[in-house]
Amino acid sequence: MTYEMLRRSSGVVSGDSDLWCTYAAVRTLTWLGRVDDLPSPETVTGFLSSRQNSDGGFAWSAGMSSDAWATYYCTQAMADLPGGGRDPVGGAGSAWVWSAAHADGGFAMTPGQASDVWATYYAVRTLVEIFGERPPEALFDWLSALQAKDGGLAWSPAHAKDGTSDVRACYYALTAWSTATGGQGPLPWSRERLTSWLKDRQSEAGGFTFQAGDDTDCLWATFRATSALSRLGETPRDPEACVAWIRARLTPGGSFTRWPGYPVPDVWAAFCGVGALRELGAGAEDFEDIADRVVETVLSFRTGQGGFTYRAPELASDVLTTSAHLIAGHFSDTGERDALRWTESCMLPNEDGIMYMPGRGSEVRCTLWALSAGAFRDDTAARGRIADWLAGSIQNPDGGFGYWEGRASDMVSTCAAAEILHRTGGESVAAHLRDIAGYVATCETAPGQYANVPGGRPTLRATLQALRALNRAVGTDGAPACDALALHRVRGGGFANEGNRVPDLLSTYEAVLAGDEFGLAWDAGHLTKFLDSVRTADGGFAWTPLMAASGGPLADCLGRRLEMRLSPERHALPPLALS
Amino acid sequence: MHTSDRTSEHTSHRASDHTETSTRVLAVLEKRFGDAARTLAPDADLSDALPGFDSLAALEYVTAVEGEFGIEVDFVGDDVRYWFSTLDRTAEYVRECVEDQAA
Repeated sequence: MTYEMLRRSSGVVSGDSDLWCTYAAVRTLTWLGRVDDLPSPETVTGFLSSRQNSDGGFAWSAGMSSDAWATYYCTQAMADLPGGGRDPVGGAGSAWVWSAAHADGGFAMTPGQASDVWATYYAVRTLVEIFGERPPEALFDWLSALQAKDGGLAWSPAHAKDGTSDVRACYYALTAWSTATGGQGPLPWSRERLTSWLKDRQSEAGGFTFQAGDDTDCLWATFRATSALSRLGETPRDPEACVAWIRARLTPGGSFTRWPGYPVPDVWAAFCGVGALRELGAGAEDFEDIADRVVETVLSFRTGQGGFTYRAPELASDVLTTSAHLIAGHFSDTGERDALRWTESCMLPNEDGIMYMPGRGSEVRCTLWALSAGAFRDDTAARGRIADWLAGSIQNPDGGFGYWEGRASDMVSTCAAAEILHRTGGESVAAHLRDIAGYVATCETAPGQYANVPGGRPTLRATLQALRALNRAVGTDGAPACDALALHRVRGGGFANEGNRVPDLLSTYEAVLAGDEFGLAWDAGHLTKFLDSVRTADGGFAWTPLMAASGGPLADCLGRRLEMRLSPERHALPPLALS
Repeated sequence: MHTSDRTSEHTSHRASDHTETSTRVLAVLEKRFGDAARTLAPDADLSDALPGFDSLAALEYVTAVEGEFGIEVDFVGDDVRYWFSTLDRTAEYVRECVEDQAA
């Protein structure tokens, strides 16, 4: 695959700061001893603190539920900033982290969800490094069950039984152990087998891959592998080749890029490049020749909102925003073709889904949005690879799907995966679709009512997503959907996610989609009243009637598609899943 | 008592009600936004004046006002984004709701 489309970018820019990028930028500047170069650090703190929910945890975007990923990234980045303290958010943050702990010693990304090593790593680092607390003793039992037959570590004990090892899982598990113990005490795995598996991920060129069988080295894997080996007191088999490979990722006038042939320096590459060199023993003097240009490049990624995006903001397209424009029909023919080609370029090597931003891990939801927008419409081979990626690499042992590989299952991702498999998979994915039904059953809170994760609260959207997934997987009748719509129908117009008083655009979209899916009658006048209440002065749409401003491209897309559904042509709604 | 006196008293009573309502609405905002709410101008747009006044915060605000005054807001029929956009408008909306309930 070539990545020329990414160099100039033909997608659509949201202009928003991104938490993942902001964390990576702040850490990179900190590691280079250059965080004081950051103009107006208080604006970065303002962006990060805006992600805190009233439960004390943080969310990756406003309005979403708290999760361990966002809570670690926000609290750590705030602690790195000038004036940041050890406890930047008060005790509520610590209490939230504990709310996602399981008795077996692992942590979930959000309360009720299954434990995974991503969440456990974030939770342990937040508890120990930010709040100065101790993780549970049972942590070590949970970590010890992560070693697979091949010697590497997997995402969860259930994944380890199937033998799926990954460099990232090794890094997260080793760092959780190291953070909890200070690197002292017994290692809960076979050191020799783990070390050997990690070292075997280095190629002759010097870089690392995430998994056995991957064929393209990348800087992300190289950073995680060198870090994991460092926690073990080890180095790569060929450290000099590794340093040379990392430095070969530098562009002449700028910062690091991700893998050979990839043309764009981005914030995660800067983070991984600097981080990996540090793990390989580089001190301040070793960065003298590159620090200025890395800092200059990273600082150029700041947005007007106070945080950072992944590259120069005017070029920082993302797949969801671009797909939203495509689905809403905002492009000319030429623009549409270029935007689709740009979207199709947003795949990591070795991972056949589509990512949110180039170079980030492939995500199930983004893949569904991109396919719905027309990506790979005429490329049967690519669609087959996407189905194989879903069914062969990222379906969890419980049958569900998480946002990306190794993340525990949730209903949004599981519904998105069911929709993709339904449209791309053919007969070969039938068994995988049936496994989805197993996960959906674990989220049922009462007959016909479902939560986003096992143990969560039932909501309209989770219920309708569960019923859609079940319908794709094994078929189901429309009676539960009919009941759910009646329960959450708002008298004046629209549908509410919880109760029946406050309607919102996402829930109303899901409701109309489910109505069509199950052949249920719905009232066009009722939908029209709701759309009138969320339409904004500039022709966009707000997420709820409470806000006067557009909710951005995604809200505008959903509102526009509902309008098109009401038009005489009755354009069908794409089967999207967002939140 | 002359009519003009009664009118004056009525106007004064309404003004007093309005002030009390505004004070109680402000207290709701202070509980959520602290210092930023304390210096709030009565006609300032809340989403501009209060950091983090997003759709979630707006929902919490409306719900808290409902609880404080024992009223129920119609989220589709009542143009909530207008009435809950400033402190003054919220107070006026609340006062009319309370009067409707008493009628």
